[in-house]
Amino acid sequence: MYLYLPVALTSINILIPVGLGLAVGLLSGLFGVGGGFLMTPLLIMCGIPSTVAAATDSNQIVAASTSGTYAHWKVGNVDFKMGLYLLIGGFIGGLFGVQAIKILRATGNADFVIKMTYVLMLGIVGIYMFFESLASMNKKKTDEVKPQKESNVAKFLKSLPMQTHFEKSGVTHSALVPLVFGGFVGVLAAIMGVGGGFLMVPVMVYILRMPMHVVVGTSLFQILFNCIEVTFLQAYTNHNVDFILAVLLLLGSTIGAQVGTVFGRKLKGDQLKIILAVIVLIVTAKIVLELTLTPSLLLGQGGGH
Amino acid sequence: MKQVKTITSVFLIGLLGIFLLVNKASAELTIRANHDHITIDFFYHGSTVSVSGVSDPGTDVIVKISASDGHESLRQKGKVGGVLWMNVGSLNFEDTPKLYLLAGTKNIADLLDRDETDKYVIGYQALSRHVKIDTPAPAEEKEKWFEQFIKFKESRKLYNVSPAGVSLTDKDGKQNYYIKMDWPYQAAPGNYTVTVYAVRDRKVVETASSNVIVEQVGVVKSLAGMAKNNAAAYGTISILAALAAGFGVGLIFRKGGGAH
Repeated sequence: MYLYLPVALTSINILIPVGLGLAVGLLSGLFGVGGGFLMTPLLIMCGIPSTVAAATDSNQIVAASTSGTYAHWKVGNVDFKMGLYLLIGGFIGGLFGVQAIKILRATGNADFVIKMTYVLMLGIVGIYMFFESLASMNKKKTDEVKPQKESNVAKFLKSLPMQTHFEKSGVTHSALVPLVFGGFVGVLAAIMGVGGGFLMVPVMVYILRMPMHVVVGTSLFQILFNCIEVTFLQAYTNHNVDFILAVLLLLGSTIGAQVGTVFGRKLKGDQLKIILAVIVLIVTAKIVLELTLTPSLLLGQGGGH
Repeated sequence: MKQVKTITSVFLIGLLGIFLLVNKASAELTIRANHDHITIDFFYHGSTVSVSGVSDPGTDVIVKISASDGHESLRQKGKVGGVLWMNVGSLNFEDTPKLYLLAGTKNIADLLDRDETDKYVIGYQALSRHVKIDTPAPAEEKEKWFEQFIKFKESRKLYNVSPAGVSLTDKDGKQNYYIKMDWPYQAAPGNYTVTVYAVRDRKVVETASSNVIVEQVGVVKSLAGMAKNNAAAYGTISILAALAAGFGVGLIFRKGGGAH
C-alpha cells in the first residue's frame, strides 16, 4: 500500500519505512546508536529529498530512543548523571560545530571536509573497536595480563580537578572529562550532520570506561534530547520534517528498539562491540565506494545548504 | 429573369458560406484532458491523464504537458583530486519547466523543422536551446550538463519524451487523436498546461491547450500547510507524538514481555 508524504512530496510503499524503522530501531536498542548514518542514506535511496530525510529521521529517533531509553531504564542501565554531563558538553560542542560548518561552506570546502571526517572517524572507530573487542575476547580466555597501557591516560584523567563518582556506571571521573568529550562529539556530529551515537558509544566505552550495557542506555538517553532539539529546529527553521514519514518509521523503530534491548541483554559487552564495529566498517566501506565509483547521476537535488 | 439570377447567386454565396463554415469546423483542433483536476490525498500514487480530440485529417499530432518555466539549482558532482567523487558546487538552470512530457504520432525529428521545434519548445533538442545554464563553462560542457539535467529529471519521472504514443483514428471523415499518459506522483502541486500541436508539412498548423490543476486536499493539505505556516506547533506536535509513541510501545512491551 502506498501513502503520500505531504512534506517530502512523494509517495512511498508503507512497508519500506516500517521495515527500515524496524531494522534501524533494532540497532538502536542493541548498541545505543540513533542509526542516522544508516537511515538517512537509505531514505534518500527511496526518493526522499535529502534534507527531508535527515530532518524526519531525527523525529523518528526521538521515538526510538524514548522506547529504548525506557526499556534500558527499567533494567537500571541508564546513568542519568553521566548522560547529563555529556549532553551539556554535546550541546556546547554542537554550537561550535554549526559555526565551523558555516565557515567551511563559505570557503567552498564543506563537502570535502564532511566526507573525509566521516570516512576517518568511522574508519578509526570501527577498526579500533573491532581489534580491541577481539583482543579482549581472547584475553578473557587466557586470563587478564596487562592493564598498564591505559594507566597513563587513566592517571592523567585522575589528576584532573572536580572528581565525581558516577554510581550507575561505577566509575569516578573529573566532571570535565564527559563535558570535554561530549563537546568533541558534538562538534563532529554537527559537522557531519549526524547524531553522533556511533562516536559517543566508543568515547563512553574506552575513555569513560563505562560498562557496555550502561553505555547503551545512557547513549540513548543522550540521543533522545539531542534529537528533540534537532527535530524542533528542523521543523521550525527549515520546514523539513515529514510527520507521516516519521510516523511510518517510528511504527517500526519503537518496536525494533524494544526487541534490540531484549537481544542486547543476551549478548556480552564484547560481542556487542564487535558487531557494532563490523557495522561501522561496512558503512565506511560503502562511503569509500561511493566516493570512488562514478555516480549514475552527476546532478542532485540542491538542499537548503 | 433578373430575380432568378439574384436568387441563384444568393444561393451560391450561401452554399459557399456553408462550405467554408464546415471546412473551418473540420480544421478546428480540439483538446480534452479527462483529468483536469488531480487531487493529492493520503493514498495518491500518481494518476493517468488521457488527452483526446479532433484534428484535421492528414495532420500529425504532438501532445505536450508542461509547467511554466522556472529556476532550478542542482548540486553538481565532480572529481576532487582526480579520484574522489563529491559535490563540487551547484549549477543553476533557468527557464526549466517543472514537468515536461511529450508524445507524438511519430518521432519529433521526423515531424518538424528545427525552427518550428525551437519556436514551440518541442523535444529535448529544442529544450536544450531554450534552457539557460548559468556557468562560464564552454559549449560542450554545457551540453554535457544539459544531458545530465535530463537524466536527473527522467530519473524522477518528471521528463519524458515518447516518440509514438499518440494514436490516430478516422471516424466519420474526422481524425481523432488519443493518448493516455502516466502522471507522475513526483509532480508537485501546481498548474500544468496540456498543449496539442497539429502538424502538416513539417510545420505547426494549429495549436490548442487545456489546463491540469494538481492540488493537495484533506489531511495532506492541512499537514503541508501546518508545516509551512505553523512550524512551531508542527514541530512540537511531531516531538510529542514521537515521545508518546516511544513510551506507549515501551509500556506495551513491559506488560507483554514481563518475563524477560
